[in-house]
Amino acid sequence: MNPVVIDHLLADGSDLDTAADVVQAALRCQAAPPTESRRRYFDSFEWSLYLAGAALEEEVMGDRREVAWLDLADNGAALARQGVDVELGLAVDLPPGPVHTRLAPVLGIRRLLPMVSLACRSRTLRVLNDDDKTVVRVVLEQCRIAGEGARPEVLLPARLRIAGVRGYQREQEDATRQLEALLALQPAHAPLLLAALAATGRRPGAYSSKLDYRLDPKQPAEAALRNILLGLLDTLEANVDGTRRNLDPEFLHDLRVATRRTRSALSQVKGVLPPAIVEDFKHRFAWLQQVTGPVRDLDVYLLDFPKLKTSLPAPLRPGLDPLKDWLAAHYDGERQALAKALDSERFLALLRDWRAYLEAPSRSLAADAATPIEDVANRRIRRMFKRVIREGRAIADNSPAEDLHDLRKTCKKLRYLMEFFQSLYPTTEIKGLIKQTKVLLNNLGGFQDLAVQAQHLADTAVAMQAADAAPVEAQLAMGALISHLLEQQQRARREFARIFSGFDSEANRALFGRLFGPPTTTTSARHGAADSNRARA
Amino acid sequence: MKIVGVYSIKGGVGKTSSTVNLAYLAAEAGHRTLVWDLDPQGAASYFFRVKPKIKGGGRALLRGKRALDDIIKGTDFELLELLPADFSFRNMDILLEGAKKKPIRQLQRLLKPVVGDYDYVFFDCPPSISLMSENIFRAADALMVPLIPSTLSERTLLQLKDFLRKQEGFGALKLLPFFSMVDPERSLHQDTIERLSAKHKGVLEARIPLSPEVERMGIHRMPLPAYAPSNPASSAYRALWEEVAEAL
Ligand SMILES: Nc1ncnc2c1ncn2[C@@H]1O[C@H](COP(=O)(O)OP(=O)(O)OP(=O)(O)O)[C@@H](O)[C@H]1O
Ligand SMILES: [Mg+2]
Repeated sequence: MNPVVIDHLLADGSDLDTAADVVQAALRCQAAPPTESRRRYFDSFEWSLYLAGAALEEEVMGDRREVAWLDLADNGAALARQGVDVELGLAVDLPPGPVHTRLAPVLGIRRLLPMVSLACRSRTLRVLNDDDKTVVRVVLEQCRIAGEGARPEVLLPARLRIAGVRGYQREQEDATRQLEALLALQPAHAPLLLAALAATGRRPGAYSSKLDYRLDPKQPAEAALRNILLGLLDTLEANVDGTRRNLDPEFLHDLRVATRRTRSALSQVKGVLPPAIVEDFKHRFAWLQQVTGPVRDLDVYLLDFPKLKTSLPAPLRPGLDPLKDWLAAHYDGERQALAKALDSERFLALLRDWRAYLEAPSRSLAADAATPIEDVANRRIRRMFKRVIREGRAIADNSPAEDLHDLRKTCKKLRYLMEFFQSLYPTTEIKGLIKQTKVLLNNLGGFQDLAVQAQHLADTAVAMQAADAAPVEAQLAMGALISHLLEQQQRARREFARIFSGFDSEANRALFGRLFGPPTTTTSARHGAADSNRARA
Repeated sequence: MKIVGVYSIKGGVGKTSSTVNLAYLAAEAGHRTLVWDLDPQGAASYFFRVKPKIKGGGRALLRGKRALDDIIKGTDFELLELLPADFSFRNMDILLEGAKKKPIRQLQRLLKPVVGDYDYVFFDCPPSISLMSENIFRAADALMVPLIPSTLSERTLLQLKDFLRKQEGFGALKLLPFFSMVDPERSLHQDTIERLSAKHKGVLEARIPLSPEVERMGIHRMPLPAYAPSNPASSAYRALWEEVAEAL
């Protein structure tokens, strides 16, 4: 039996010292001197730790600073500790140690952000047996939420924690029974951290970049679409600050995904919003996509860099250092340009106008504005699926790269449509279809991204050469890298036929038919068309 | 999970003192740590104020009648736990012989269910070469061997190396000898240390001095660094722990 931590709340107004006296009178124990500490709890923007059932606590007591990895399932008992002398941020900033080992896989590339700060006064009493051995720990604690700005400090209810020691369960039960009889205790329903978050009005797990709409199938299409677009706008806005401050690369990534999805929803769900609105905002979001592109490209490069480097034979690897320097040197300039764009009136007006439009009362007179969303969704997905099949079947071994690029675009549209409307369909089936579409997209994406990366590298090599920043070793290494990328790209290309035929299987087509309604043309007719296409290619 | 056996064929060389102090330091550094007291005398259990007693004894343990989970005790220190000794461990070899299969892999088998629960496990070993010690060698990632700076202790190290060489499958077992109970006043100690360090590679740098404070652990019933953190002997144990953590 692992020891259990039981948290109680002390009755209102009771102070720690009086409670400590009661504990000491009732149980044989040793009291440590009272301590004062400052605690901060950290998580990533998307609450990765919380979702993994953990929390990261930083505690400063006197001149000692320590981080602890807490188990939320066990009322916040510490599973690992580590002394620190650095500011917490990315996983790589924390030196190796027991907390780092647990943190790194959960946090990934995200940055730790302080979620709440507390100032605490604690008293620890060790309950002893006849050998003077600790058998139970009683911790009395009073924390206030450390003021940020002018907000008055919030005092959290004082807590009494009864922490078991493994192998001494009976002693813990005895102590609990006695203290419950002597002190006015109420069970604490949440660990300290969660109580503190609740007191500040923060909801852990509130942010997620995943699309998760509950749509009513009979809802008019316009209302449903506005709902989807508003959700995307919330996600986009939530990531602006982190992007501007460059906290970690995921902010920009999520911002761009929300932008791309918005554009896709605008152009793919036709006949629902007024065409003039669609045109205007499509245009303005395209601008946003474009100004955020260069930094994202560099982010991807820099994140991939270690992997790119190890893909080269060891003697060539040092040759990539000038490339890294070059990229890093350009990074700042691109970031400044991005920050400027995000501060521009053009961007602020885009957010403002878009929200105003989406939140205003319905006024679309477009043909399908009042059609049940279910019908619109079925129709759009059906058509997009047919298009994917048609374009995919037309691709032969010698088709030009553009055909694959076009197919990728179509495929992405299909994926987004299914994601927007997933709540209208049976979960297992729609998730399966989305997943299968992602497999195809991965193949196509690999093909295209590798080509783009190779081209980008070649362009960079030329630019570096012109600036006298490309010694021979760098040119050789970059050349080798380009050839490695193109080889991988060819591999993706060779696998396309197999992966596509998995997507274009009898079973998959039948499933699409069942979920989104029967296709308008018969299967055999489409086969005929595909055959003639292939013959032409 | 890393498993460290603190082992010597010789008695009274500082095995238990080192186990207790190093395990404490591992836990203090934030690692979940277990001390397994394998010595029927139960000295490590005594230091942690835990009764050296297991219901049903070693037999119940080996037969799986009592899961490790039920026997392990928390100590006075966070993240540090103890698997107590039992007097029946004096007959451990007989008990191990009685195991249906693989009598040399019983410790390893018993530890399996707790693999995810600890970062470090320390065995406090009884002095001898026996079926039990073979179990320890099989289960451990490293053996720490305290050496008193004397010619005799070199012999025990050679015996151990010899034993390990003759057996199959100890290739990955790290041998980490270190000097213990070093008297800075005695030039013979210094000479021996220099000679042995030159001859045997892999001897750790950190040296535990002969110190009355270490002997007093029995009175405090606590790891030395817990009550005398700035004592020179505590610093020596700390240096030793850092070297061991590095070597693992
Ligand atoms: N560095 C030291 N300085 C002084 N005394 C020490 C030191 N290390 C150990 N001792 C003392 O030497 C005696 C034996 O030490 P310890 O019990 O640690 O050795 P051991 O190898 O575990 O013995 P055993 O073989 O009996 O299990 C104890 O009384 C202990 O207090
Ligand atoms: Mg001993």
